[in-house]
Amino acid sequence: MIKHFKTLLRGEVGALSLEEPGWRWFATYCLAIAVGSSVYGATIGLWRAPLQSVFTAIKFPLLIFLTCIGNGAVNGMLAQLFGSGLSFRQTALAILMSFAIAAVILGALSPVTLFVLYNAPPLGSANAILGHSVMLLTHVFAIAFSGIMANRRLLDLLRRMTGRDTTARVVLFSWLGGNLFLGAQLAWNLRPFIGSPGLTIQFFRDDPLRGNFYEAVWRAFRHLFL
Amino acid sequence: MNPPPIPSKQPPLFANNFVFEPMPNAENPISLLENLLKHPGRVVHELHQKQAPILAGWLLIFGIIGVAIYGTVVGAQSGGAQMWIAPAKLGLGTLLAVLICLPSLYIFTCLGGIDAQLRSVCGALFAAVCLSSILLIGFAPVAWIFSQSTDSIAFMGALHLLFWVIGIRFGLRLIDATGRFLGARGKGHLRIWSFIFILVCFQMTTALRPIIAHSKTFLPTEKKFFLANWFDSINGK
Repeated sequence: MIKHFKTLLRGEVGALSLEEPGWRWFATYCLAIAVGSSVYGATIGLWRAPLQSVFTAIKFPLLIFLTCIGNGAVNGMLAQLFGSGLSFRQTALAILMSFAIAAVILGALSPVTLFVLYNAPPLGSANAILGHSVMLLTHVFAIAFSGIMANRRLLDLLRRMTGRDTTARVVLFSWLGGNLFLGAQLAWNLRPFIGSPGLTIQFFRDDPLRGNFYEAVWRAFRHLFL
Repeated sequence: MNPPPIPSKQPPLFANNFVFEPMPNAENPISLLENLLKHPGRVVHELHQKQAPILAGWLLIFGIIGVAIYGTVVGAQSGGAQMWIAPAKLGLGTLLAVLICLPSLYIFTCLGGIDAQLRSVCGALFAAVCLSSILLIGFAPVAWIFSQSTDSIAFMGALHLLFWVIGIRFGLRLIDATGRFLGARGKGHLRIWSFIFILVCFQMTTALRPIIAHSKTFLPTEKKFFLANWFDSINGK
């Protein structure tokens, strides 16, 4: 399994085959997502409290799996509509693979984020806002970097599978658009991940399915500019 | 006898003149240190052979000891208990920084297209730290002279950091060379990792402060980021 992930990380897509997507690959990628994103998720929530760390360690991989499951059908359809030739199973495996790459990178960066957390001014201190800002920026960069690398690898794989650069890009961006759209809303439903100091620590906020990420962004936009 | 002619074209300042070849007398730790300075390519070559774990172990030990030796010069400014506290903190900090950044180095080497084993990656990182510590020992007399000439903690802190940056620049060049030896597709990923490693080391000096000055506690009671600590030191806080 380690050798397989090293191959994935190196981007040697010639060594990969989605021609016979077996359950072993699904299990491998799910395990990598569960472990890598759980470890990283723990470092996100730890700033608020150890209990929040446990909650975020559970919710981070949950967010990824729910996004994959929620968009599974439409991603498979889009792949076929755009002429990639990929089946539903191959589509699911390819998307899980990219999330697994991101999870492995995040898992490797978790000692660094943990070290940043150790040095951040704690809640209740005079510089708590600075600490919170630095933590936020660190996580944004780490998640952005791992996401970019994972999608680069996915694009390389799609190029190989489809044989056409344009088709590969169109399929990738359609999957990306759908996953980001659903993922943002699911992250809203599954909040909190970091935990607001002014609110009690909860696994979910009260009435978690109520409310909409995009409506909240629109309200903030209106307050700011209108 | 006539002196050799000066080459018509001088090599660049950080010429990557690594020659990857077997190292004679590889099992001798002293030979290892000599080759680390004169023929670093040989060390890179040996770190991918059978005795790599033994060599990596020696490199880590020499690296920690070297930094600790430099720490005695750092502590000499304040004297007293800092003569042992500064070496202990620098040695511990170096070890912690290596452990924190090792997983990400392994992943970043893979991202760079390098098929390396964990022991080779460890060896490259330990060699980088060892090389930088050797250079720090070389700078130690210079640092000591300046430490006796001033009471300014900010000035000496900046000087020690400058020497460390010079040392680690050569160390990171070794990691670059290891990447080339193993067929890296580009330098971008290792450069990003190098930036992360330098930031972690900078923060480590703040996490373990004070290293130069006296303190009532071994570790600080207040958490700060290194930039805030540097500005506070400059402003005399």
